[in-house]
Amino acid sequence: MAADDLTDLTDYSPDGVDLTLIRWMLSLTPAERLEYLEERVNDIIAIRELNART
Amino acid sequence: MPERKLIATLRALHSGGVEFILVGGLAAVVNGAPVDTFDIDVVHSRHPANVDHLLSVLEALDAMFRIQPERRLKPNASHLASTGHLNLITRYGPLDLLGTIGRDLGYQELISHSPEMDISAGLRIRVLDLETLIAVKEELGGEKDRAVLPILRRTLEEKRKRSP
Repeated sequence: MAADDLTDLTDYSPDGVDLTLIRWMLSLTPAERLEYLEERVNDIIAIRELNART
Repeated sequence: MPERKLIATLRALHSGGVEFILVGGLAAVVNGAPVDTFDIDVVHSRHPANVDHLLSVLEALDAMFRIQPERRLKPNASHLASTGHLNLITRYGPLDLLGTIGRDLGYQELISHSPEMDISAGLRIRVLDLETLIAVKEELGGEKDRAVLPILRRTLEEKRKRSP
């Protein structure tokens, strides 16, 4: 696939915001958004802990 | 380091009868903005009865000021009645209690901009809407606030397209 083809597969605002990510978040319920964040935060903490020990 | 328990913290406040509004990064996420945040920011009612409820919940959560955790300084009623910001650590993680945000906007001023939202099973709380969140961050104009504004504005645009 040529690099130019990606323009049809992405959607950024003029100020560089990934609109596909926003649309995905808006497709979730508020509770699902919060659960997703909580899982993400805990994943990040786990990665930090893992690297702190090595 | 213990796991962050964002939902458990909010459930504890709600179960304890505390009147509060979720603001900051978590409010942005609940409103659909894809931003990362590690702490919980809430604006609480500074009414004396609410301060009492809040003190009970904070005691149960073993809350203390983050600045010098080794001194185990606990917030008191006077702190909670003030318009300032209390940066606390609890057994569930960081919790910031804000008497006011922006230009002296407290619980009473924000309540009409904070619809109730279901954020977990059996947990319905007030969350600051995106319009007000953006307005407050625009007013403050700090570097951290400005950095997140493009995402908040685009999220608001997308939300409006979905529900004109």
